[in-house]
Amino acid sequence: MSNTHDIPVPHPEKLDSKQFSSLKSLFLFAGGAGLLISLIGLFVPSLREQFAFSWLFGFSYFFTICLGCIFWTCLHHATDSDWSVVVRRQFENLSSLVPYFALFFIPILICAGILFKWWNLSPGDDPLLDGKSGFLNKPFFIIRAVLYFAVLSAFAFYLKKHSTLQDSDGNVSRSFSMRKLGVGGIPAVALGITFSGIDWLMGLNYHWFSTMWGVYLFAGAAGSSMSLLVLLITALKARGYLKVVNAEHYHTMGKFMFAFSVFWAYIGFSQYMLIWYANIPEETTYYITRNTGGWWYLSVLLVVGRFLLPFAVLLLQWSKKAPKFLSVVAIWILVMQLVDIYVVVLPALHGEGLSPSIFDFTSLVGIGGILGWILIRKVESSNLFPTKDPRLAASLKLTN
Amino acid sequence: MAEYQKVYGIGGEFDSAGSLMQAAEKIRDLGFKKWDVHTPFPVHGMDAAMGLGKSWLSGPVLVGGATGTLTAALLTFIPSWGIYPMIVHGKPFDWRVLPAFFPIFFELTVLFAAFSTVIALLVMDQLPKWYHPVFNWDHFKKVTDDGFFIVIEARDPKFSEVKTRELLESLGGKHVTLIQD
Repeated sequence: MSNTHDIPVPHPEKLDSKQFSSLKSLFLFAGGAGLLISLIGLFVPSLREQFAFSWLFGFSYFFTICLGCIFWTCLHHATDSDWSVVVRRQFENLSSLVPYFALFFIPILICAGILFKWWNLSPGDDPLLDGKSGFLNKPFFIIRAVLYFAVLSAFAFYLKKHSTLQDSDGNVSRSFSMRKLGVGGIPAVALGITFSGIDWLMGLNYHWFSTMWGVYLFAGAAGSSMSLLVLLITALKARGYLKVVNAEHYHTMGKFMFAFSVFWAYIGFSQYMLIWYANIPEETTYYITRNTGGWWYLSVLLVVGRFLLPFAVLLLQWSKKAPKFLSVVAIWILVMQLVDIYVVVLPALHGEGLSPSIFDFTSLVGIGGILGWILIRKVESSNLFPTKDPRLAASLKLTN
Repeated sequence: MAEYQKVYGIGGEFDSAGSLMQAAEKIRDLGFKKWDVHTPFPVHGMDAAMGLGKSWLSGPVLVGGATGTLTAALLTFIPSWGIYPMIVHGKPFDWRVLPAFFPIFFELTVLFAAFSTVIALLVMDQLPKWYHPVFNWDHFKKVTDDGFFIVIEARDPKFSEVKTRELLESLGGKHVTLIQD
């Protein structure tokens, strides 16, 4: 159809760095303040336990979403997608935040003895741990953490490098290199999110296990990173950029948000039902803690807010095609993902019931603020969409 | 035998999906209502080019899905809470046993939605259908191979045997033919 429906080649767009300078300093200031208050918790022994869990909560929230962004970038290349070319650069910017998580991981490593009960146990203390010691031991734990950051950072780095270089040289063979990276990157992200989830979240109670854990985290993360993309694109469009993104692209992004709301519920319920039905004490501890006291309200909120509400709202076609409305749903999904990670991490500390702390807030603002500041710098550094991608024209005239 | 032959419409063949789409946009803009395009494969964007609105298929699917959920609820609640309460696996037999029924809710919702999709689709497409006038046109057989066709029906108020033929020819239509019913 290209012979009859010619679309003019859009001009490359770059972010005007002055326009976002106030937002950048706001992010830096909020992030710095958040980090500073959080770090008080690290150095005051009486606050350290609360700090450790709050920090792990903030860290896991952003880390899983960042991994979701790498997944979407890889999926785009692995499937030779047309539609996502105009929004892909923002996924690449979000993905390239992954190396910075290695810095945010340092407090978790310092507090590992507080977070993970197995850390301070020696062989013979607990036969259940002895059986798992081939995996749960300090050297392997650290090697694995290094591997996650190194491998995922490498994928994010090379995917963005090829993509930005293609902007200047227009070399089509880079698309083939990116396809290879994409095909390799999907299993890398899958293994990364599964094993990091096992290490840092399931490891909070080394007695408990669930084979659906990795998929559960992935399902929540993939839907949330698509929501984050919708917000980022809408923010850029509100300032007059990315006019190439139209209602059809929003429709596709909305469909993925819908699909992953359903997928999250499917995986979450499958995990819950198998444990609930089998009724084995070793497995039920996880849900008993999260279904008693104040946690019960948050668990029910998740069922309604992370699944039923987005499901009902996104089922309608117009809601996916209306950028402003979809952005509101995206904010809602991101907040629900926050609740989800909160219910995963904090009950490990406050098993008796919901007990919010200032550190929950400051670690979130601290990590989020610094990452937001880096993100704006990343967005500024390259074109806002891949201008010489061979599939750009197909993306511009997307029809659902 | 003096035979009265009713005219069904006028059809024309086009070179490609692209030229077909362009012609469809023109015909849409001229205000024709009773016409259709025929292609060997689905053409993206053709519904907009033809000026078709949103299909009403989603309505029957929603009704079918909701019926499925309701059926599943009745099928599980009535026996388990009403006529034959039984303790299984030490689980209570009140609302707290609800998660055990979710797979049934899910399956029947999907099943009923799928049934209503297929049935509504057959109704929309007026299938099964044993006869259609376009097959009176020999050239039309190419539609399952490499032919792209537009057929404007005689019942369209704007239809005229001479002018519609000229229109299709001016849009690049080849083998423009009058189709008998």
